[in-house]
Amino acid sequence: MSQTAEQPSMKSVDSESVPVGLRGLGKDYGGFTALRSLDLNVPDGTCFGFLGPNGAGKTTTIKIMTNLIRPTRGRATLFGIDVQRDPKKALGYVGAVIETPEFYGYLSPLETLAYAGRLRGMPKTEIERRSDEVLKAVKLTAWADHRIQEFSKGMKQRLAIAQALLHEPDLLILDEPTSGLDPRGMAEIRDVIKALKGEGRTIFMSSHLLAEVQEVCDEVSLLNHGTLLLRGSVRELSRRPGVSAFKATFLRPPSDRELEILRGFPHVEEVTPGSDGGVDLRIEGGDEVQAAILGAMIGAGLRVTSFRTIGSALEQLYLEHIEESDHL
Amino acid sequence: MSASPVSQALTVTAYEIRKYFRGRRLPGMLVLLALIIGLILGLPPALGIAYASDPNLFVASFTNFAALLIVLGGVLFAADALVSEHEKRTGYFLFPNPVRREVLVIGKIAASLFTSIVIVTLYYGAASTAALIVTGALTWEIWLSYLYALAYVACVIGVAFLISSSLKGTVSATVLTFFLFTLIFGIIQGVLPLANVDPWFIPSAAAGIIGNVLSPGGPIPGPGGGFIEIYVPDVATSLAVFALYFLASALLATFLFRRRELSS
Repeated sequence: MSQTAEQPSMKSVDSESVPVGLRGLGKDYGGFTALRSLDLNVPDGTCFGFLGPNGAGKTTTIKIMTNLIRPTRGRATLFGIDVQRDPKKALGYVGAVIETPEFYGYLSPLETLAYAGRLRGMPKTEIERRSDEVLKAVKLTAWADHRIQEFSKGMKQRLAIAQALLHEPDLLILDEPTSGLDPRGMAEIRDVIKALKGEGRTIFMSSHLLAEVQEVCDEVSLLNHGTLLLRGSVRELSRRPGVSAFKATFLRPPSDRELEILRGFPHVEEVTPGSDGGVDLRIEGGDEVQAAILGAMIGAGLRVTSFRTIGSALEQLYLEHIEESDHL
Repeated sequence: MSASPVSQALTVTAYEIRKYFRGRRLPGMLVLLALIIGLILGLPPALGIAYASDPNLFVASFTNFAALLIVLGGVLFAADALVSEHEKRTGYFLFPNPVRREVLVIGKIAASLFTSIVIVTLYYGAASTAALIVTGALTWEIWLSYLYALAYVACVIGVAFLISSSLKGTVSATVLTFFLFTLIFGIIQGVLPLANVDPWFIPSAAAGIIGNVLSPGGPIPGPGGGFIEIYVPDVATSLAVFALYFLASALLATFLFRRRELSS
């Protein structure tokens, strides 16, 4: 069962010391409200997906959490420490990648990591050891001594992730972490995130790539127009009963009469013939209903060659909520 | 695991200085420095003009250009130090680290001061060495001129940082810093006496002490056969003006940099 934005998280949460605690967080830019009043707790050890379309307020939230901008109202705490009041202490436990950061072109990745490590007070030997490890993890070892001014956007994104991991942070804040990467790079970064998740680290990750979030995250929230629309565990949201879209293909395109039969099945909301001879179906119900409809189609003499969902349940849920909130 | 603010500021300073060394600015400045020194030393003999026999007057031929050199130092090593973190988006890497913005400003100011002081020291070192070779002597006034030049460095760097914290673009910050010291202050300095106001509070007027200590200026020939009196405040006032500009500008720059959001 999905949770509404107001409901508490499923895990036991001490709201004073959770890795991420947002209380009535809001941000206005002149007359424009980028974030209304966001309340959110992210429990320890959770990989949390922060979903929403462009302009939803995801990056604004993350920028407040990392002290790049100030909230107009409310407050953000990291491990119970107010980011605005004591940014040095609050950010000490955090590694962050925000948008695709630029680096100093005159430095190499090793020098950049040494800069970040020294600012954090890491000993030299520790910086060297960790630099080797994180550059290996993001596949930049061969470029360790090259100046960053030669780097592509994807390489800079890898370096951004490397610097966020350098000090083995308890909380990783990632804003569109696979942005700018090719498919192979995206898969590699997802593997890195999954490995971190396996180590029990808390990850707060914004994305509009639903498949990515579904693959990596335990919990998700959905934001649009600066308002939290929904929150819940990925597993439960992905299994929720509701309207799902399916694509059915047949040995030969169904006739008008056969389409009418399809429209007459219980729980079928909509039937749309496709140009490829297949049919798009919108079905209300869970696995049992879907199985029953497949059986009914075969029983009606339709020679079904495939029957599959269009997009994930999470994607459909996302689209429904975004569409609803856009119309408000 | 947390670094002290002093250690963090020193780290920022070290990396900023590395930036100047690896970029084109410091080498460019050193080439300019060599050119100025070469022209001052090379032109007189090439034109059959004898060097001044007095060490103060000899070094004064160098100090005529010291103020401009200091302004160029401010333009190249300070004017874009803060604004570039926003415009070039390197702030997305730097700011989420557990380091206070004021520590970043202090580290950057220290780097700019260090680099400009190195330039001025090289310039005065060359002038003093040449003076010692040509005239056989060095004077206390040369040291004073050097110290005044360093005070002016601080003033220029402070104002450059204030501009850097206020403007949105590196180009506008660089251009404004240059023209403020070479043109705008000069115009104000020229116009105020017409209203019977001594421009003691204008840095470019106060910078007159750098050359004045070596060759106290009297009226100089002006257009149309008249004479122009160049106003130079007394040393204490000038040094106080430098200090005030540096402190006020640096504090305001720190405040503005802290308040500024990285929203681009």
